Amino acid sequence: MKTKHLLWQIFGPVLLAVLLIAILLSLPIHYRKVSAQEMRKAAVSLDTATFKNQFLKQKALQNKKVNYVPFFGSSELERMDEFHPSVMSAKYYNYRPFLLGKKGAQSLPQFLAMETILPELKNRKVVFIISPQWFVKQGISPAAFKYYNGSLADLTWLKQANPHSAYDRYLAQRLITLLGSNDEVSQLAAKIAQGHQLSSLDQQLISVQHNFLWHEDELFSRFRPDDNYLNRIKPRLNNLPTKYNYQKLQTMAQADGQKHSTNNHFRILNKFYAQRVKPHYKLLAGAEKHFSYLQSPEYADLELVLHQLAKQHTQVLFMIQPVNTKWTAYTKLSLPMYYRSVAKIKFQLRQQGFDQIADYSHDGSIPYFMQDTIHIGWLGWVKFNHRVNSFIQTKQPAVHYHLKKQFLSRKWQQLKPDQQNLQRFASQIN
Amino acid sequence: MTSFLTNLPNLKVYGTPTYFIYLLLAILPLGISLYYGKRLVKYEFLVNLVFLFLMFDGQSFPQLLALLGFLCWQTLIVKFYLNYRRQANQSSVFYLAVFLSLLPLVIIKVTPALIGQNSIIGFLGISYLTFRATGTVIETRDGMIQEIKTYHFIRFLAFMPALTSGPIDRFRRFEKDYQQLPSRQEYLQMVAKAVNYLFLGFLYKFILAYYLGSRLLPILEKQALFYSPHFTWYLVGVMYVYSLDLFFDFAGYSLFAVAISYLMGVKTPMNFNQPFISKNIKEFWNRWHMTLSFWFRDYIFMRFVFMATKKKWIKNRHLLSSLGYLLNMLIMGCWHGLTWYYILYGLMHGLGLVVNDWWLRYKKQHLKWLPHNKLTTGIAIFVTFNFVMLSFLLFSGFLNQFWFGSHILNK
Repeated sequence: MKTKHLLWQIFGPVLLAVLLIAILLSLPIHYRKVSAQEMRKAAVSLDTATFKNQFLKQKALQNKKVNYVPFFGSSELERMDEFHPSVMSAKYYNYRPFLLGKKGAQSLPQFLAMETILPELKNRKVVFIISPQWFVKQGISPAAFKYYNGSLADLTWLKQANPHSAYDRYLAQRLITLLGSNDEVSQLAAKIAQGHQLSSLDQQLISVQHNFLWHEDELFSRFRPDDNYLNRIKPRLNNLPTKYNYQKLQTMAQADGQKHSTNNHFRILNKFYAQRVKPHYKLLAGAEKHFSYLQSPEYADLELVLHQLAKQHTQVLFMIQPVNTKWTAYTKLSLPMYYRSVAKIKFQLRQQGFDQIADYSHDGSIPYFMQDTIHIGWLGWVKFNHRVNSFIQTKQPAVHYHLKKQFLSRKWQQLKPDQQNLQRFASQIN
Repeated sequence: MTSFLTNLPNLKVYGTPTYFIYLLLAILPLGISLYYGKRLVKYEFLVNLVFLFLMFDGQSFPQLLALLGFLCWQTLIVKFYLNYRRQANQSSVFYLAVFLSLLPLVIIKVTPALIGQNSIIGFLGISYLTFRATGTVIETRDGMIQEIKTYHFIRFLAFMPALTSGPIDRFRRFEKDYQQLPSRQEYLQMVAKAVNYLFLGFLYKFILAYYLGSRLLPILEKQALFYSPHFTWYLVGVMYVYSLDLFFDFAGYSLFAVAISYLMGVKTPMNFNQPFISKNIKEFWNRWHMTLSFWFRDYIFMRFVFMATKKKWIKNRHLLSSLGYLLNMLIMGCWHGLTWYYILYGLMHGLGLVVNDWWLRYKKQHLKWLPHNKLTTGIAIFVTFNFVMLSFLLFSGFLNQFWFGSHILNK
């Protein structure tokens, strides 16, 4: 009798704690609301956990008072100067970008980030920034993918993954490649890849886990880093003229660029040059001579994104990022190769009805259009914001996307995009 | 076969909550049988084996082979020496046995300094296993160990809960727990402590150490490096945050090891006892990484002082203990690795102990009026704490990067 009492004393509190946590995480109750301020911070936080989870994204996009526009992109979103979309829209426009993506967030992370906000993307206007640098031979690296990959998004996809869909089977295969075959998600994805339905036991386990993760996301979303707004956005608002004047802003952006790129002849931001370029200056000469963005699994990964956006009838404005031509002249990146990769990307978009494309690929030689080597900034942001604003303000005609499965194929991934090859491919798919 | 092995999941010891679920489930039968006054010897062997395997399978598979080789090597030395010791007691044979026992550790510590990469005979936790084995040789010489069964020795050496980072137990103490099962009352007290230690460990390792080490430290390091090699207050931040992270991470790990041992009915000694309330550096070493510090005290400091007295090398008692401290801490520094900052760290603590001894003597003789109250105690704790923090900044190797590293961010 006495030892039994002792056992309860030892394990009672542990059992109680486990029980309370399990109840807390599994009850279908919402524990908290998100304030307008919190959404404003989350929209510019660029936090990885926010990117790969659901709660803050969803709450912001469901919000009726402020029109948050998802900006899917990568490292350029981190270039928060005076003309960054988040700064300019806070000053002049009636929408606010919700920034999704940082360095290394390519098509697949974007696809999975969208997975948790699909209902919110329905008939919505979004911006998607493509960097041709994504389209390297191997596509996204496993390390970068894992960094942006979260179980909540994976399970959300698995819950409704269809083994008869070529798109889902393709993604399943990519997950296995990138996560390794031991990964729990990969093991479930393997069934989809082989064309099998998940068992009802699988489905139930996924549901339970999904519920836990959902609550975890909800509860812990209040502890995420969110200091970008106060440190990098708000202080810059006062540096912009009160009234919107496109011409004046362009002049201002050029002047700003000139002022902040004095220690190099590439028109690169001083700090970037000092930290990232100068230490390896010699090594970088001719370093990109053999780079190629022409053949890559990224083309098929992008197709997944397109398929998802098409299913939601999302209206997308694509932007294609330029390269700094003073820089490429030094690193010997082949511009013809770069333009051909842009042509291949645009072909893929246009062929399937994605006609809103801000193609800045030829603007990389305009002074101060770019903030550094491959990232738009200053003047580039001003032009881009102007374009985005008119896209948001104007009522767009109903979308007519017509997706072609062939863009998933290895043949397309590996297709060398010259005029003739593209024409032949077009005739095969139409 | 090997490709199959390299593809198995590798479980980082005490790395994730899932690991604890597996581990606790695996040792549950052991606990239940201990509760009923029995030890499931074969099952325990199996659990040890499986978890050892999971630590070293996958990509670290070569380490598993190194571990097996190491166990054979140490067992042979210990068995051979015990056999010899029953018949004779020559110093040269004893030193040879100690040297052979330390040899693998010496090789893996020297190799990186010589050829710039890790030796293939190394594995995670080799230091701690070496200390256990060498300690056994020394105690055999002292005649304190009369019998060593091969399996018992291996069980002690490769005791899974404390394999990768200690605590460093002693063979005789360890064996006693196996000879004598705890009573039900005693065992339940151990279980109660184990539960407490586990949860304290969760707080230390998964909350405090995570926040300090993975969230705060990288930011401070980046800032400090940005201005390097010029001093900024960020460097002071790095010092405190790194040191506290080191404590919570290691103390958390040690709590896990002790807790799991307790559940298995083994009273593995504690490693930390509130080190930051130490009033002087000597007390600090009685509270910080205790099993290592006691090992060094017993087998290096004491042996040196004892021998020097016996052989009459040094007459002056104070000089003798000062040399003992310096030797002791320098060896400890070298053990961490042959880099300037580890060696300097050892030297710093050696000198700290010397100065501390001198100060205590001086105070006793000349500063009798100095009161012993809350204020003076507070000052003593403050000075000791900051001395230790400074030494850990050195230990971290961050200064190497700060002064001599290339100033490239995002490299």
